[in-house]
Amino acid sequence: MSILLTLLVLVVAVLVTTPLARALERNTGYPLALIYLIAAAAFWPAAASVMAGDNVAWSVPWVPALDVDLAFRADGIGVVFAMIALVIGAVVFLYSPPYLHDGRHLSFYLVMAAFTLSMVALVLADDLIVLFLCWELTSLASFLLIARSGHAGESASMRTLLLTFVGGLTLLAAVALIIVRTGTTSVTEALQNPVWQDDGLFTSVVAVLVLLSAFTKSAQFPFHPWLPDAMAAATPVSAYLHAAAVVKAGIFLLMRFSPAFHDTPVWNYTLIVVGLFTAAMAAWFAVQKTDLKKLMAYSTVSQLGLIVAAIGVGTEVALTAAVLHTIAHALFKSGLFMMVGVIDHGAHTRDVRRLPALRHKMPWSFAVTVIGCASMAGVPPMLGFVSKESIFTAMLEAPGPAWFGWAAFVGAAAGAVLTFAYCTKIVFGAFVDGDRSDAHVHEARPSLLLPAAAPILASVPLAFVVGILDVPVGYAASDAVGEEVHPHLLLWHGFTVELAATAVVLALGALIIASRLRLRRRVEHDTLPVSGVEVIAAINDSAARMGRWMAAFTKADHATRHLAVQLAAFVGAVAAGLLLIWPAAAPPEPMAELSRPIDVVLLVIIAVAVLALCTTNSRLAATVGLAAVGIAVTVQIFALGAPDVGLTQLLVEALTVIVIMLVLQKLPLVFGRGPRLGNAAAAVFALVAGLSAGVVTWAMTGRRERSQLADYYIQNGPEITGGDNIVNTILVEFRALDTLGELAVLGMAGVAIIAVLSTVWDRYLDPGPERDRSFVPAPRLDLRPEGSTAYRAIEHAWGNAIPLQLLVRTALPLLAAISLILFWRGHNFPGGGFIAALVGSSIVGLIYLSTARDRQIGPPRMPLVLIGGGVAVAIGTGLLGLVAKGSFLEPLHWHLVGQDISSALIFDLGVYMAVLGLVMVAFNLLGTSAYEPGAEGTRERTDEAVEGELEGPMDTTRGEPAARPSRRSRLIASGTPPRGAE
Amino acid sequence: MILPVTIGILVAGAVYLMMQRGMVRIVFGFALLSHAANLMLLSAGVTHWRGEPLGGYGTTAEQADPLPQAFVLTAIVITLAVTVFMLALAVIGHNDDTKRMPDTGEKHDR
Repeated sequence: MSILLTLLVLVVAVLVTTPLARALERNTGYPLALIYLIAAAAFWPAAASVMAGDNVAWSVPWVPALDVDLAFRADGIGVVFAMIALVIGAVVFLYSPPYLHDGRHLSFYLVMAAFTLSMVALVLADDLIVLFLCWELTSLASFLLIARSGHAGESASMRTLLLTFVGGLTLLAAVALIIVRTGTTSVTEALQNPVWQDDGLFTSVVAVLVLLSAFTKSAQFPFHPWLPDAMAAATPVSAYLHAAAVVKAGIFLLMRFSPAFHDTPVWNYTLIVVGLFTAAMAAWFAVQKTDLKKLMAYSTVSQLGLIVAAIGVGTEVALTAAVLHTIAHALFKSGLFMMVGVIDHGAHTRDVRRLPALRHKMPWSFAVTVIGCASMAGVPPMLGFVSKESIFTAMLEAPGPAWFGWAAFVGAAAGAVLTFAYCTKIVFGAFVDGDRSDAHVHEARPSLLLPAAAPILASVPLAFVVGILDVPVGYAASDAVGEEVHPHLLLWHGFTVELAATAVVLALGALIIASRLRLRRRVEHDTLPVSGVEVIAAINDSAARMGRWMAAFTKADHATRHLAVQLAAFVGAVAAGLLLIWPAAAPPEPMAELSRPIDVVLLVIIAVAVLALCTTNSRLAATVGLAAVGIAVTVQIFALGAPDVGLTQLLVEALTVIVIMLVLQKLPLVFGRGPRLGNAAAAVFALVAGLSAGVVTWAMTGRRERSQLADYYIQNGPEITGGDNIVNTILVEFRALDTLGELAVLGMAGVAIIAVLSTVWDRYLDPGPERDRSFVPAPRLDLRPEGSTAYRAIEHAWGNAIPLQLLVRTALPLLAAISLILFWRGHNFPGGGFIAALVGSSIVGLIYLSTARDRQIGPPRMPLVLIGGGVAVAIGTGLLGLVAKGSFLEPLHWHLVGQDISSALIFDLGVYMAVLGLVMVAFNLLGTSAYEPGAEGTRERTDEAVEGELEGPMDTTRGEPAARPSRRSRLIASGTPPRGAE
Repeated sequence: MILPVTIGILVAGAVYLMMQRGMVRIVFGFALLSHAANLMLLSAGVTHWRGEPLGGYGTTAEQADPLPQAFVLTAIVITLAVTVFMLALAVIGHNDDTKRMPDTGEKHDR
């Protein structure tokens, strides 16, 4: 319960940030700090219970189907990291208000609060999925905090995101492997699985994935460049995330998984070698830097390397040292980051080359920084000294031959010398050396200095009573080793080899202090010719080049290139399948009687029609060919026992042909030139593709009994739904969600036509006879003089439409009745929403065709209303099912006036409306007369479909930004026109 | 095994038309391709069973698989939507040549 309460308090912190920031502006930090202390207090019972040896857990099922719980559990590791996150978070929030300049800083506080929530949830997570999600959330928050810091942060934040997301991917892979192999998503259960002892290879693979994730987050080589890069963020962000929290998430992950991997050689050696290398390399880079904040960043990378190496050793002593150094580092480094901010505030620069000797004007800051740096350098009697000594001890326990342990020991000691060197540089560079004037420097206000000093000063008394950390460090180390650990932390161990190492470090340190000015001149330049930033940029650029190369296959505005690539891929897949699979596994025998005599007849008709369609150059003839194919396919569908499908195909065919004819009146009479490669090449490609499709169909269909699913529908469908037409009940009941999707596609096609056409200027949409190369003037026939019957028949076409108009008068009610009957009976007999709507559409088509000239059918906005209404009705039916039956789109059945009525009928009504809407869009927009003077053009119709009746086409195209002043503009008040408006 | 041949012919015609320059021909090719795909889906239901899947009509042992039929019905209507959309694209500028665009000032990749 305590865990839940803690998390809820942190959720509250996120929620109240927005109103707080509006009211208090930058002072939001104070109430937030209080909330964090409340969260820490709420967490105290759980922590106390853990310290008494009793772990606390809380969970609630999240995705029961996958057995994923929203599970949290406090153990030793979780308590240490959660407390660091909460307490340092509170201190940083106390520091933020005086540090930040005036303003609201909403994004800073909001993302910081969200980050703390995800960090605490991460360290307490007891479910692998939750763990992964929180891990990614911390990455995102870290990215946002860097990205919000203006121009300098933009590319830096992208690099951070790139590197940390690499780690996210490896963690995802690791989590997936663990879940699949151990069959549980619980962290506790997964770590206790015997697989870690039994399967060395699997353990090694997962270990590598986990340590890569940790390396990205904790900025270990070669993923370290993001941390110095992240210094673009505000100092409070660095003091919290880059000292105590987000970089410690990687350390946390290593410790969390350490019980499973601490005996795995690849884990041990990788962590030790990479950790120590990173420690030494980053310490060297830190010495070279002149910007104190960059220096701190490299110093953090270096210290994290030491902790990583200690975790890699994997013994009780080593993990005790790692936990202790994590705590010590969180204290002194967050404090030192804040001190850099204090220096920046006081002296307006943080570059040691430009800083005057600050000790005169900033004595208090000087004292605090000296103590912090002494702790970092491992000078007794600081907490940093205790933890560094214990890390030296740990190195001697490194696995493998004895020389390896000694090598690790010497490596760590060498790192300590460099650490001492950069600590020297901070203290002397900022406070002692420098001959510039310090006239403008002022000591920081207590409100700024005290929060910065608090974590540093806390570590001094802690060193003397370090024994009180025995219990928390002990439990955390126990959880990381997987065995009981009872450490006895002491400031004074007697005369040991570690103490000798410290003595040597201090002696060398004294030499460095003495010769610091000479040394600084020699080291203050970059060792390597390329920086990590450039390496990442190079990788990024080559990926972009690769992407461009891949895209070149389809980089064209014409459709053929896109289609050819896909069709060739299809042919290639079929050919590869035939060559690779066929010899090994011949398909089973086909069923008997797959064909009927009518199939042959239809085959011949289709073959002839396709041949005609492909060879003719006349658009009209091609349309006839296409219609012939459509009719033959319709018959084929009827012959396959699908009356609903056949009816649909027949009606769709009719409507398609009408729309084609509308379009053809504005296009040239003949097709024109063939493809660039020539018709022969196209024909060969076509034959190969056709052969592939035929072979695939032959090999993969008709070779099994009727499917179980088919039997289920046939046996049970009518009984479950109360409808005999199984296909229709599948559409509106069993798989209504599919139909809803289809309905949306249908509606969106109508909307898309309007959207696309309204992006084109009227003069490009309908160019007019003089600019239209395919314009053919109406033939002039001097058959009879003006006024004669023949003249009227040719020149005034309205008379020709009279027979059709008479027909419509009788056919219209008949068709409407048929449409209604089809709609009503669809549940039991062939029919239903689609077919009824297509009949209804043919009414629209008939009315349209029976007029002598193009006219808009219905009110201009009706098609869009029908489409939107149809989708809304269908979704509404779904919601009805959700409310009444608890499942979206589940149909309801009523018994009214002796009739079974289903809510599926309302759903079908939605289908009907959407189909009708699309067809009306097609007729209204595509049927416009091209060259008739005074007639409405396509663009005008398109605009009217959205705006209602208009005088003419609009002058704008959709997607163009309108020239209008912004919301906060004072242009109107001051009377100046906006730029570009003249 | 007649249907695979029919499908092969439809696909061959479709690919031939799709390799042409004119948008209308590409639309026609698309229509043929969707006919082929629909027949392929229906034959996935095994063409040995060809009875109409209507309750109380014929014997259940003879009835065809209703699921592919439902899929194909959906597919046909979507084909109508996409065909109409592509025809709207074809008619822009009264010229359906996909390689020579009207000069609207935009750049085109060829």
